[in-house]
Amino acid sequence: MSSLPETPSEDGPQANPVSPVEPAEEKTTSGSKKPATPRAQRTRSTAPRTPRAPRSTPTAKAAGSAAAKPASGSAAAKPRAPRAPRAPRASRPKAAPEVQPAPPPEPKPTALGIRQLYKRFGGTVALDGVTIDVPEGSFFGLVGPNGAGKTTMLSIVSGLLRPDSGQVVVHDIDVWKQPDHAKRLIGVLPDRLRLFDRLTGAQFLYYCGTLRGLDAQTVKTRVTDLVEAFGLEGAVGRLVADYSAGMTKKIALAAALIHSPRVLVLDEPFESVDPVSAANITEILQKYVAAGGTVILSSHSMDLIQRICDRVAIIVAGVVLDSGTADEVRGAKSLEERFVELAGGRKAAEGLEWLHSFSE
Amino acid sequence: MAAQLLGVTTPDRERAVGYARKLAGSTADAFADVPRFLRLKLALLGGAFRRSPWQVVGLVIASLYGVGMMALLVAGLVAARFVPDVASVRAIVIVSGAVVTTGFLLLPLVFGVDDTLDPRKFALFGIPRNRLAVGLAAGSILSVPAIVLAVCALASVVTWSHGFWLALLALLSAVIGIATSVLAGRVATAVAGFLLDTRRARELTGVVGVLLIVLISPLVLSLSSVDWGAQGLSVIGVFADILRWSPVGAAWSVPADTAVGHGGAAALELLIALATFAALWLAWRALVAHMLVTPSRSGEAKTYSGLGWFSVMPGTAWGAVAARSLSYWGRDARYWVSLVMIPVIPIVILAVFGVVHAIPGTYPALLPLPIMVLFLGWAAHNDVAYDGTAIWLHVVAGTTGLADRIGRLVPVLFIGIPLIVIGTPVSLYFYGDTHVALALVGVSACELLVGLGLSSVTSTLAPYPVPKPGDSPFAQPQSVGAAAAVVQGFSIAVILLLSAPAIVFGVLGVFVDPAWFAASLWSGLVVGVVALVGGILGGAAIFNRRGPQMLAAAVRAA
Repeated sequence: MSSLPETPSEDGPQANPVSPVEPAEEKTTSGSKKPATPRAQRTRSTAPRTPRAPRSTPTAKAAGSAAAKPASGSAAAKPRAPRAPRAPRASRPKAAPEVQPAPPPEPKPTALGIRQLYKRFGGTVALDGVTIDVPEGSFFGLVGPNGAGKTTMLSIVSGLLRPDSGQVVVHDIDVWKQPDHAKRLIGVLPDRLRLFDRLTGAQFLYYCGTLRGLDAQTVKTRVTDLVEAFGLEGAVGRLVADYSAGMTKKIALAAALIHSPRVLVLDEPFESVDPVSAANITEILQKYVAAGGTVILSSHSMDLIQRICDRVAIIVAGVVLDSGTADEVRGAKSLEERFVELAGGRKAAEGLEWLHSFSE
Repeated sequence: MAAQLLGVTTPDRERAVGYARKLAGSTADAFADVPRFLRLKLALLGGAFRRSPWQVVGLVIASLYGVGMMALLVAGLVAARFVPDVASVRAIVIVSGAVVTTGFLLLPLVFGVDDTLDPRKFALFGIPRNRLAVGLAAGSILSVPAIVLAVCALASVVTWSHGFWLALLALLSAVIGIATSVLAGRVATAVAGFLLDTRRARELTGVVGVLLIVLISPLVLSLSSVDWGAQGLSVIGVFADILRWSPVGAAWSVPADTAVGHGGAAALELLIALATFAALWLAWRALVAHMLVTPSRSGEAKTYSGLGWFSVMPGTAWGAVAARSLSYWGRDARYWVSLVMIPVIPIVILAVFGVVHAIPGTYPALLPLPIMVLFLGWAAHNDVAYDGTAIWLHVVAGTTGLADRIGRLVPVLFIGIPLIVIGTPVSLYFYGDTHVALALVGVSACELLVGLGLSSVTSTLAPYPVPKPGDSPFAQPQSVGAAAAVVQGFSIAVILLLSAPAIVFGVLGVFVDPAWFAASLWSGLVVGVVALVGGILGGAAIFNRRGPQMLAAAVRAA
């Protein structure tokens, strides 16, 4: 329990400058959960710069209360903990935008700064000078074709892979110069790496929490909450090795959250996760972001990124071709169209005529 | 006797003829794909050489060794042609042939082979069943054991070249023997593929294998008590007379029995051999057909309650690592194998000593405990590699090297300390002199502590590939470099070197003056503690720096 009070107090002052913008995000993100929203978002793109403040006004109150209610009801004690002190903050700006419309968007502090990253494997250049700034409290989507360097980049960010050159800064702490400090701030979901799967689900979560330095009682409480939040109640007694791919993903994601990190680095968090669980996870992440956390995730689902991410970067062949708010990046098109355009366009499906004359 | 023989053989013969006819009917079509499968298998074999230079060097050395052994065997078989004692040659050929064929049948079942020509891999190509069965069986002739067998079997034709017809018969039997062995291997691999489909079953194979070794050891021991110089040939003769009627030995005994004049027996053996081959072929074809429509299955999962070791160990980072390690030592078959091997090794060594009477008196009673502790202390020297890529968790969690190193040593201490505490009085009971206790404890403790300290360094500095979690403990990892042998040899050597003072003082105590026993104890404890502390601190420092490299090594090995 000891770590519970200290996390919020650490977050509090730094997160404050962001607060005016927060309810807006809460709105857009929780609103955009509904599948109908892409069209609504597109209309927004006519006023790309300050779309949020006006949009937030009508429903800000509803959104604020809606976000607060499930937080106390269903969500885990762990996500609840950092949010508790922000509750007053959330109510303060709720009144603010109505009185003074569109407060000048202060530059948000950078939660994750990636500067001039280079990485090559043998003769292959995986990252060719990647620079990305992820502001605090943003839901950042990383998209790119297969082999573009997404996993390489996220591995470097999470401290798993040493860059050839460049810098990664998490809340002003250099990941590769002060790894111990930086790693406490980051929660990681890697792709394609094993888990300690000879442990049961409960043991695995407990193991992750204890390695992160939480005391036994805190870990047990958080494990219970996470298991409930991710719908793993029936599986905690089984070995992780016997889980399905989607369940493995879920428990790995739960493990990434257990120490209430300030930045979540998630590589393909929705891969092989069923739609219901994906919606669940999305909601958990959106609340986390609403509370001031930062998420950077990679995915191949453009639709999903467009729905849930407020900032996007398109990375192709180790180079960031475009990045910014989701609306800036996609302009008048859908994210998918923009992505296909940047990634070199589609190959015309020619030369497969024989495919249309079927063999028996 | 003749009537009896006829009574037995007629249905056999009819069945054989029936099978032959069936075979002939489908032959033309069934063999259509054979060249393609042979090329595929050649390509697979060639792929082994497209690896890192060190692996190729290792492969070349292994191949040279194999070719050398094969040349020796062939030379022996050719030389046997000119041995006047045909009866002895017959017995030896029958027994070794039967043992080899049994090996083809049993080894895949026990050790679980990673089958490159698993029929299930071809399920989606829509190849007719017979063609696939023939092709896969033919393809598996191009494996190292099968090639060695084929060359030796053909050399045995020379052994029996006492006359033209005998040589021809020998050639026929050799072909049947080769085909039977290869098919037996295919069938056994396929059955193993079915039985060992679940993770749990796959993991059990290793343990079954070790148990089998333990079960066989009494046989080996009783055989080793035979005075081979005087009675060896007659013992083999007894075995040969049993094995020649068995499916595994029949093919090899046809020319052998003909050569010594047992024509009737040879005819019966030929029928047994043909029937065996036919039965194996039918079994193989049925298995292929079945496997094509049976995808891999997954076993049902066992449910555990509570946190197990995690509720016992302290809730700190090192406690968690220790609890995780303890759970793995209890659940992961790869650890079981190293555990089961530990009592087996001294038994084997004692058996060897017992046979050759190298050490007189009760001195051998002093050997098992230090040997077991030596291998126990060494068991964790590659511990990080057993995690596979799961080590990422320790890296991203910023687990300190100290916590990781200490936690991983806890299971070894959990086993090692009781082993020394119980093993010492047991050794003393059999040895008969209690003064040696000091030296036993000194040497054992030294080996254990040095082994742990060394493991702390090697497991982070030089992890080498091991079977992946969930595979059979005997499955070969994708890439085994020379690194494995170097690390293994080096770590054993260092443990022995650092334990040398305690060992030498202990030996002096036994043979010169019991006063040396105290020196053995203290030198052992001091060296052991220093090595343990130094190893843990050094290993922790290396671990802190090498997180990404360890993960990269794990990814390469995966």
